[in-house]
Amino acid sequence: MNPLELTLGIMTAVGGFVDISELVFAAKAGSMFGYALIWVFFVATVGIMVFGEMSGRVAAVARQPVFNLMRHRLGLKLGLVTLFASLVSTLITCAAEIGGMGLILNYLTGLPYLVLAALSGLVLMASMWILPFKWIERTYGLLGLLMIVFAVSLVAIDPPWDRLAGGFVPQVPHGLSTKELLAFAYFTVAILSAVMFPYESYFYSSGGIEEQWGPKDLLTNRVTTTIGFGLGSLLAVSILASSAQLFGPANVGPEIPGSAALEAAIPFGPTGLLLALLGMLFAVAGAAVETCMANAYAIAQFFGWEWGRHKKPWEAPRFTIAWIALFLLALLIVMTGIEVMSLVEYAVLFSIVVLPLTYLPLMLLAGDKGFMREYANKWLAKGLGWLFFAVVTAAAIAAIPLYLLTSGGQG
Amino acid sequence: MLRLRILLPLLLLAGCSKGPGADLQYIKQARSLGAEWALVNEQANKGQVTKTYAASMHQWLRDNLQTTQSSLTQPDSRYGSEIHALLAQPDDAAPDELRSHVEVLKHIEDGLESA
Amino acid sequence: MKPTDKLKLVSQLIDLPLLDKDRRWCGVVDDVEFDGGPGKPMRVKALLVGPGAYRGRAPGWMFWLVTKVAGSRISRVPFNQIDTIGSAVHLRCPAEKLGLHAVENRVRSWIPRKGAL
Repeated sequence: MNPLELTLGIMTAVGGFVDISELVFAAKAGSMFGYALIWVFFVATVGIMVFGEMSGRVAAVARQPVFNLMRHRLGLKLGLVTLFASLVSTLITCAAEIGGMGLILNYLTGLPYLVLAALSGLVLMASMWILPFKWIERTYGLLGLLMIVFAVSLVAIDPPWDRLAGGFVPQVPHGLSTKELLAFAYFTVAILSAVMFPYESYFYSSGGIEEQWGPKDLLTNRVTTTIGFGLGSLLAVSILASSAQLFGPANVGPEIPGSAALEAAIPFGPTGLLLALLGMLFAVAGAAVETCMANAYAIAQFFGWEWGRHKKPWEAPRFTIAWIALFLLALLIVMTGIEVMSLVEYAVLFSIVVLPLTYLPLMLLAGDKGFMREYANKWLAKGLGWLFFAVVTAAAIAAIPLYLLTSGGQG
Repeated sequence: MLRLRILLPLLLLAGCSKGPGADLQYIKQARSLGAEWALVNEQANKGQVTKTYAASMHQWLRDNLQTTQSSLTQPDSRYGSEIHALLAQPDDAAPDELRSHVEVLKHIEDGLESA
Repeated sequence: MKPTDKLKLVSQLIDLPLLDKDRRWCGVVDDVEFDGGPGKPMRVKALLVGPGAYRGRAPGWMFWLVTKVAGSRISRVPFNQIDTIGSAVHLRCPAEKLGLHAVENRVRSWIPRKGAL
C-alpha cells in the first residue's frame, strides 16, 4: 500500500463527498431542525461506507464493476428496468450539478447563469476528453477540499458543541406538529438519498477497475471508504451545524443555494466567501463528472461495450459517444431553465426509489463465494448490508408520499 | 402598534382557512427569501461579501420572490401585501426594514401552522 | 471453470460479459444455442450475442424498443471458442474473428484521435 496514493485517495474522497444535493439539504435541515438531523447524515454515511466498500471489493476481486454483474444477477428484464431507472435518476442529478455550477459561477462573476452553465458543461467535457481517469478524479476531488472552509467556519462561530454532539444520537425532536413530523421524515429520506446516491457505487467500483485494483488493494478500498467518506461527511455536517447556528435563528430557509456560502462569509469575510464558493464549484463539478461517467459506465457495462477513461477516447468509442451524449442531454435539461432546486428535489426523489434495485444485487454479488472466493461478505458486511437494504427500501416506499404530503419539505 | 401589526393579519386570516392554507408553502418561501435578503445586505454593509455576490443574490432573491408572489391563490391577502412590499424594496434595502416584513410573514406562517 | 465442466446456464453463463483473447470487452451472453434433441444429450452449441437475441427474453414492447435503438444483429460465439468461464466468459480468439467488435470499429471512425493525454 503506497502511503502517498492512499493519502491522495482519501483526500479525493473527502473533497468529492459533498455535492449540490447534500449542500442544499444540509443547509435546510440545519435551519429547520437545528442539530436534530446530524444523526441521519451519520447513519447514511455508514450506509455508503458499507456499500462503497462492497462495490470496491467486487471490483478488486471479481475484477468486474457493479453493472457488469448486476445484469447477470438480475436477469435481462429487471436489469433493463434497473438500468433505465438509474439512468433517469443519475441524469437528473447530473443536470442539477451542472446547473449548480452555473449558479456558483454566477455568484462569482455576475455573468448570465445559462451561459455559465453551458460553458461549465463544455469545460467539463473537455476535461473528460483530455485527462485520463486518475487525473479527472484527483483534480476535482483535491480542489473540492476547499470545502474545508465550512468546517473551519463552524469552529470560528463557536457553536454549542454539546448540542452539536447530541445531534449524533438518533432522535426525533419533541413537540413537533404532525406537519413538522412529516417534514422531518421527508428530510430523513432526502438526506439518506443524497448521501447514498446510486451513482456513487457505480463510479467507485468502475474507478477501481480503471485503476486496475486487485486483492492487494482491499485495504486501500476499506481505508478510502471509511476514512475518506467519514471525513467528507463531516463537511456536510459542518454546513448543517453552521446553518443551525446562523440561519435558523434568522428565519433563513435557505431557498437559494448561494446562501450557504454566507456560513464562511460571516466569520471570514470576502476571503471565506470566495473559498466557500470555489470549494462548492469544484465539489459540484466533480459530482457532475461522476454522474455523467457513472451513467456511461452503466450503459457500456450492461451491453458489454469497451469502456473506461484509462483508455483513450477512440479506444472505447461507444463509451465515449455515451458520455458525450449524456452530458449534452443533462445540459439540455439545464437549458430549459428549470430551477436547480427543483432538479435537486427530483434527483433525490428518483434516486431513493432506485436505491434498493442498486444495492440488492451488489450485496448478493459481494456475498457470492463463487465470484468473491475468501473475500465474500463476512458477518459484519452481511449484517450491515441487510440492515441498510431494509432502511433504503423503507425510505424508497415512503419517499413519494412524504414529498407530496410536505410539498417537498416545505410543510 | 407592533402587536396590532401582528394580531391584525391573524384576525383577518381567521375566516380564510382554505386560501392561506394552500399558500402556506409560498409564505414560508417568501419569509425565507426575505430573511436571506436581509442577511446578505447585513453582511454587505459590513464588507463581508463581494459586490458581485450581493448583486447576484439580489437578482435571484427577487426572481424567486416574484415567482412566489405569482403562485399565491390569494395575492390580495395580508401576506400577499407583505410580499409585494418586500418586492418594492430597493436591492440595498436596510436589513431591519426587510426583517420587519419577514417578522409579519413569520407570524402569519406560525398562525397557519398552529391552526 | 472450463467450458467442458457442468454448467448452470442461468447462474453461471447467461448475461455474463465476454472478454476476448486480448482482454477487450466484446458483449454479453444474451442467449444460448443448443445442440441435440429428444433422447439425446443436450449441449450448448454457441453463445448468442447482440440485441437480436433479446427476443423471447424480453416482453414484445421492450424488444421493439431495444431494436429501434440498437438494431437486431446477433453474433454467434461457437462453444469451442471459449477458454474459461468465471465472472466473465473468456474467449480464445480476438473479437473481430467472431464479428463481435463490428459496431465498436464502425463507431471508432467517428472519434477524432486528438487531444487526449
